Amino acid sequence: MLELIDLSKKFKQLYAVKNLNMFIEKGEIVGLLGPNGAGKSTAISMLSSLVDPTTGDVRFHNKSILKNPSPIRKIIGMVPQEIALYTDLSAEENLRFFGRIYRLKGAELKQKIDEILELIGLTDRRKDIVKKFSGGMKRRLNIGVALLHNPELIIMDEPTVGIDPQSRNYILETVKRLNEEKQMTVIYTSHYMEEVEFLCDRIYIMDQGNLIASGTKDEIKRILSAEKTIVIKADRLNDIFIESLRQDPTISSVTVEEKKVTIIVPKEINIFPAVLKLAEEAKLELNSVDIKTPTLEDVFLHLTGRALRD
Amino acid sequence: MIGILLAKIKIFIRYPLTFLAMVVMSIGFALLIGGGNGNVINVPTYIADEAIHGTVVEDILNDSEAFNFETMSKDEVEDKIANGKAEIGVELYEGDFRVIVGVESPNVGLVKQTVEGAYSKKLQYEQLFAAANATTDSDKEAVKTDLEKAIADPVFSIQANNFRGSDAVIIDNRYHTLFGFTLFFVIYTIAYNVFHILEEKNNGVWDRIILSPARKWEMYVANFMYSFGTGFLQVLIIFLVFRFWVGIEFGGNFGKAILVLIPYVFSIVALSILITGIVKTVQQFNAVIPIIAVSMAMIGGAFWPLEIVSSKLMLVLSKVVPITYGMEVLNGVAIYGYSFSEILYPISILLLMGVVMTGIGIHLMEKRHV
Ligand SMILES: Nc1ncnc2c1ncn2[C@@H]1O[C@H](COP(=O)(O)OP(=O)(O)OP(=O)(O)O)[C@@H](O)[C@H]1O
Ligand SMILES: [Mg+2]
Repeated sequence: MLELIDLSKKFKQLYAVKNLNMFIEKGEIVGLLGPNGAGKSTAISMLSSLVDPTTGDVRFHNKSILKNPSPIRKIIGMVPQEIALYTDLSAEENLRFFGRIYRLKGAELKQKIDEILELIGLTDRRKDIVKKFSGGMKRRLNIGVALLHNPELIIMDEPTVGIDPQSRNYILETVKRLNEEKQMTVIYTSHYMEEVEFLCDRIYIMDQGNLIASGTKDEIKRILSAEKTIVIKADRLNDIFIESLRQDPTISSVTVEEKKVTIIVPKEINIFPAVLKLAEEAKLELNSVDIKTPTLEDVFLHLTGRALRD
Repeated sequence: MIGILLAKIKIFIRYPLTFLAMVVMSIGFALLIGGGNGNVINVPTYIADEAIHGTVVEDILNDSEAFNFETMSKDEVEDKIANGKAEIGVELYEGDFRVIVGVESPNVGLVKQTVEGAYSKKLQYEQLFAAANATTDSDKEAVKTDLEKAIADPVFSIQANNFRGSDAVIIDNRYHTLFGFTLFFVIYTIAYNVFHILEEKNNGVWDRIILSPARKWEMYVANFMYSFGTGFLQVLIIFLVFRFWVGIEFGGNFGKAILVLIPYVFSIVALSILITGIVKTVQQFNAVIPIIAVSMAMIGGAFWPLEIVSSKLMLVLSKVVPITYGMEVLNGVAIYGYSFSEILYPISILLLMGVVMTGIGIHLMEKRHV
């Protein structure tokens, strides 16, 4: 349905997005994953015709949107990263305003507003001023506004940042339902692995403007099939131990968190004896050493040597 | 577009506080600083010949908005001048007058001109009375009424204003502070309303609208109309308060004074669009607006009259500041009684500035977003 071809966007010297290739089929939920500044927002601004690419093309049903953006604009429901609402107006007034912008009127508009308030669970708060809403409620309304005109393709830019777990689950469930019941195609950007793992059929992972991995969840996890992730826990981690892990040629990645070190090693190597030996030499008391089933987080770690959220 | 405008008006009505604060501040400052009669220049006046009473000379002098001709004895007049309590005094004789100058200032010429004008008017009337054979007071009154009617409703235009000498300057503090603060404070109201454009662009409201069937120009037009409307409403309220509550006459040209605010408000909306196009963040905007508003007000003569500014640089700078022309048109209309054609020049400059700044501002905003 939608295809991004060698898409790049350059801001002065910086490539926000570099040679991005992507495709989205009708009815899919596609995840776009990456840390801050990866270029997610820039990418979706280009694919929704809001920003012109420096080079490359976006094709919708095989026709470039650069010259003629109106076909794609008609089917997009956009959920911007920020709260794109009039916060001085009530929930209902916001829906009415954006509904009118989409040329909805009278009974049709009224019915649509009721339907959406129901969907996002704000029916009994409809008269309240948005400014007084919680973060989660604002986020829900931010999504609701994008659904007024029954879009075929809904694009969500980090729709769950800074909200409570309940609201977050509510939103994730809602997105899934929209996809299943109304066959909406969804592009979902996030820097939360769990969300993308839960929602998406296919995933694109970006970092610093580059696409670093793509495929179905399983395909991506298979990147790690030649390696395994081991988590070492200890109350008093010391530098000697960490340094010696880093020196070890068989260990390809060492990530230190408080009381926890994550290392990546080739699958065939039994690293346990080596770890125990190093711990003893460093006079370190270990709490546990575990092999972890790989997650997307690990893939990211593997590909970039950095944690997704640092 | 109507929908966008209505949403903004709804928000405006719901949160009128900032707007009201600006109105109250303008009125407060204008009253406080321009208030009282102390700012009208007192001219101690000795009537040497009782025949002056009841003549047009007395009427004209009493009607002067810039000077307060205060009658007193000859000794008192001389005393005041000698003690420096007054710059100038006048003595009025039947067919002649004398100006006593304590301190040389531009006001001397103006007082002279005012009194001279009054006497020449008196002479004119007397000749008319003679021509019309009016001897009794009631006859004279009738001729005078006819004359005034004729002047008010001219078949051909009579240059009736004494103040019009090419280098005559009237500095009436009441008007000056009223106009100055009105023009100054409205910059804030307008600028903050225009600034909503930037907020809407940053938070994605614009993206939503661009993707919708509504067009981008509708956003610009609606924002422009809204900012213009609130700005104009503010100056209108202030002028209405001063006209009907404080009782300032605007030289009998109240309606015109309101009309000439339109090009000024327009140019300030445009200036705000330009600034919004240049700044990048809310913080920058909040820092820049007071600086621009205050320095423009100083350069453009909103706080003190440009006539007392001698720095060449400041005078040159004043030529590029909308406030200068805003003050010029208001003073022209309310104090000098100019007609529209006589203030066409400053009005055109304001409109031109408006068009140019709007153009550049929108261009900058568009360029940055892409
Ligand atoms: N208008 C712009 N002008 C200059 N640089 C920009 C602009 N927009 C984005 N960038 C830069 O491009 C890079 C990618 O930004 P982008 O917003 O696309 O990242 P993101 O993946 O959405 O990040 P986040 O998770 O923080 O939203 C960043 O380094 C950012 O600073
Ligand atoms: Mg982003």
